[in-house]
Amino acid sequence: MQMAQSRYLFALSCFQMDLLKEAEAALCPANEPGAEIPNGAAGHYLLGLIYRYTDRRKSAVHHFKQALSVDPLMWAAYEELCVLGAAEEATAVFGDAAALCIQKQYLSHGSASQSLNMPNEDRSAVSARNFGPGPDDASPRQLKHMQGNNLRDIPGNYHGAAAVQSSNGGSSNISFYNTPSPMVSQLSGVAPPPLYRNVQPNVPNPSIPIADSSPRSTVNSTIQAPRRKFVDEGKLRKISGRLFSDSGPRRSTRLSGDGGANANVSATMAVGNGTSNSSKYFGGSKLSSMAFRAVTVRKGQSWTNENIDEGIRNENFDDSRSNSTLTTSSSSPSGDTRSLEQEGAVIPINADIMNGSRSISGASEIMDLLRTLGEGYRLSCMYRCQEALDVYLKLPQKHYNTGWVLSQVGKAYFELVDYLEADWAFSLARQASPYSLEGMDMYSTVLYHLKEDMKLSYLAQELISTDRLAPESWCAMGNCYSLQKDHETALRNFQRSVQLNPRFAYAHTLCGHEYVALEDFDNGIKSYQSALRVDTRHYNSWYGLGMIYLRQEKYEFSEHHFRMAFQINPYSSVIMCYLGIALHVLKRNDEALVIMEKAILADKKNPLPMYQKANILVSLEKFDEALEVLEELKEYIPRESSVFALMGTIYKRHNMHEKAMLHFGLALDLKPPATDVAAIKSAIEKLHVPDELEEEM
Amino acid sequence: MATESSEGEEEGKITSGNHVLIVEDDLRELGKKAAWSVSSCKPGNGVGSLRDDNLETYWQSDGAQPHLVNIQFQKKVKLQLVVLYVDFKLDESYTPSKISIRSGDGFHNLKEIKTMELIKPSGWVYVSLSGNDPRETFVNTFMLQIAVLSNHLNGRDTHVRQIKLYGPRPNPIPHQPFHFTSREFITYSCVR
Repeated sequence: MQMAQSRYLFALSCFQMDLLKEAEAALCPANEPGAEIPNGAAGHYLLGLIYRYTDRRKSAVHHFKQALSVDPLMWAAYEELCVLGAAEEATAVFGDAAALCIQKQYLSHGSASQSLNMPNEDRSAVSARNFGPGPDDASPRQLKHMQGNNLRDIPGNYHGAAAVQSSNGGSSNISFYNTPSPMVSQLSGVAPPPLYRNVQPNVPNPSIPIADSSPRSTVNSTIQAPRRKFVDEGKLRKISGRLFSDSGPRRSTRLSGDGGANANVSATMAVGNGTSNSSKYFGGSKLSSMAFRAVTVRKGQSWTNENIDEGIRNENFDDSRSNSTLTTSSSSPSGDTRSLEQEGAVIPINADIMNGSRSISGASEIMDLLRTLGEGYRLSCMYRCQEALDVYLKLPQKHYNTGWVLSQVGKAYFELVDYLEADWAFSLARQASPYSLEGMDMYSTVLYHLKEDMKLSYLAQELISTDRLAPESWCAMGNCYSLQKDHETALRNFQRSVQLNPRFAYAHTLCGHEYVALEDFDNGIKSYQSALRVDTRHYNSWYGLGMIYLRQEKYEFSEHHFRMAFQINPYSSVIMCYLGIALHVLKRNDEALVIMEKAILADKKNPLPMYQKANILVSLEKFDEALEVLEELKEYIPRESSVFALMGTIYKRHNMHEKAMLHFGLALDLKPPATDVAAIKSAIEKLHVPDELEEEM
Repeated sequence: MATESSEGEEEGKITSGNHVLIVEDDLRELGKKAAWSVSSCKPGNGVGSLRDDNLETYWQSDGAQPHLVNIQFQKKVKLQLVVLYVDFKLDESYTPSKISIRSGDGFHNLKEIKTMELIKPSGWVYVSLSGNDPRETFVNTFMLQIAVLSNHLNGRDTHVRQIKLYGPRPNPIPHQPFHFTSREFITYSCVR
């Protein structure tokens, strides 16, 4: 276990088998405190993940930042930082310094042809999987898809992207090292190669981390011609593990393509779909599912790229060298990257110079794109959703209309409780990338909120048929049953989701919601806590715990949990409203009123804080103010039974019987459930008694 | 004449039962939260058979009439509907014919709230606990007792295959005086 790469591979395998201690020991051996982390950026990223899942947030953040400094194109690391809430502004991370860094790496790799050999092999192992799906089936499809959106921009994980990029950089094969690949070099920043057909698919590809391969294919799909070329290249690849000889000319072509940096970027972006997934599912059972998918792909099933992407990411490490050959041939995009890699090795001398200038422009274009995407992602992780939406709108059309970006837009609308817009954005995302599962769990929740049972069951069926082993599919299915009020089946589906990927926080949260619906509070608490163990910033789980404690009348706990949720997402009017309810129940009415005011301002469309404010005022006996608020609310939402019922109770307290009767009558007309009917009617009865008494007198 | 399949409430007679159990959406089954006991039973046909969701198994009493099924809760609950599965075709003289439902805080202060006469029932029999007044939709109580006062054909012991209890769903948002009915309120009322 001396060699850096072997240590890295070993650590990666341990990580995926959930043996985090061994993985950590492999990456930083205890007896060699000063040892360098193997595999540069990829190693830091892996170590970061290990620290994250073992609750050592600060170290995790440190390592992700290291990964980014070594390889500024490592999107996956930036994503993780956003999720942990510790990301710096994208302009800082993906700034000019980063571009220069990439540039340097690119150039330095140019000369390192030697390294190709080794990396290639490693890569083959790693990328084999990745590329697998891309090729055959994927290509034609992707091509079609791609025609539509040039850049399937799914920046997603750069994880792969980085790798890809390096390969793209073409400078040298070595650049691929992005993350998961066993490659040693850290060049991840290399600008993604333009969509070249010429690129030899084989070589570098293997190393290209998972996602890359597939997404690339998608991106490259625009290029129809290459297919044939790839096949040839594939063969070539088979013949010689490192085909540098051919790469020369191609490389130049590629380089010329560099001008279209965007294309490259898109290529890398394409990775997105898979990428994002990979980072998340990195440790999960994704691997197996990926493997499954890769296998399927290899068998020539026409799974779209997206599918593969997802799978690919994780599968990096899977076996199959043979796959690599397959993959290389089919995916043009991958091909590109790959070829880049390979070409890198073979770079003809004059190419170096060309590379240099192209790489600068390429790098800066990528940086531009990454900056926007990174900023958008960071803002949406901080729940500053409106700002995130504005940032995403800055993207050029071709980038905006891609699965990943549209999913993110959908997610932002979801957090803003604008379910109609979210539905729209997600449905566009599905049209753009029908086989991408990322974010679909959230889409299913949107449909649940909108009570669209037809659409929801259709979505769930589609997701399951796309990928039976993805947690999102089962989340969607569970939401479907939950909407039908069949909580037990819903719970079972969510549990399946958890089983498929225990590191998917949302599945745990949804289990928690179902337990609460079944009134099994103990298990509910356990589920929410599991979710929080995976992702401390998952504010839905904090909210869930707060609700349970509210029901169990443990008000102090309830307030604490709502406050934690509020600290994570200070823009959510719903959370503020509940925090206010908890404070009201604790009799801290002044604070409660303050929070309610904030909630009212935070989202004008949310009627609840106003209602709660009125409720609090009633308990404080400030009836007139309460009535004012309710009158205003009545104008805004004219058909809410509880508003009239509350007004009725206030008028009753004031002995204004006629008004009370009127309002109670209106409340009853709006068909509240039986308990309310009973309560209102008994209130009405009590109204009459004083009159009767008067008559008797 | 009570030839309808649904209850004739004025006379408290039920002529037949439904084959399917259909309950309104805003009701939920409450039996899981209660402690169930019976006045007597034949070994192998005990109180478990009343709650096992299996219509093949039944509770058979083994003592003097009236036969009692006692349902006790730890907190007061609102009950609205009792549903029994009895079958004259299978059980003949074991089929209950007169039932009385009592409620109270405990054994010491049970009061009768409903009586029903069954005439050759076969299937699910719905016994609503609501009074005529809308204010009396629910019975808010600690304990419910279902007493079988007599059987068909003057049988001594009785068979009951399943009993279910229903009450209203609680407000999904705790500590609210009223439920929310409009879409806007409900949309903003929870985070999922």
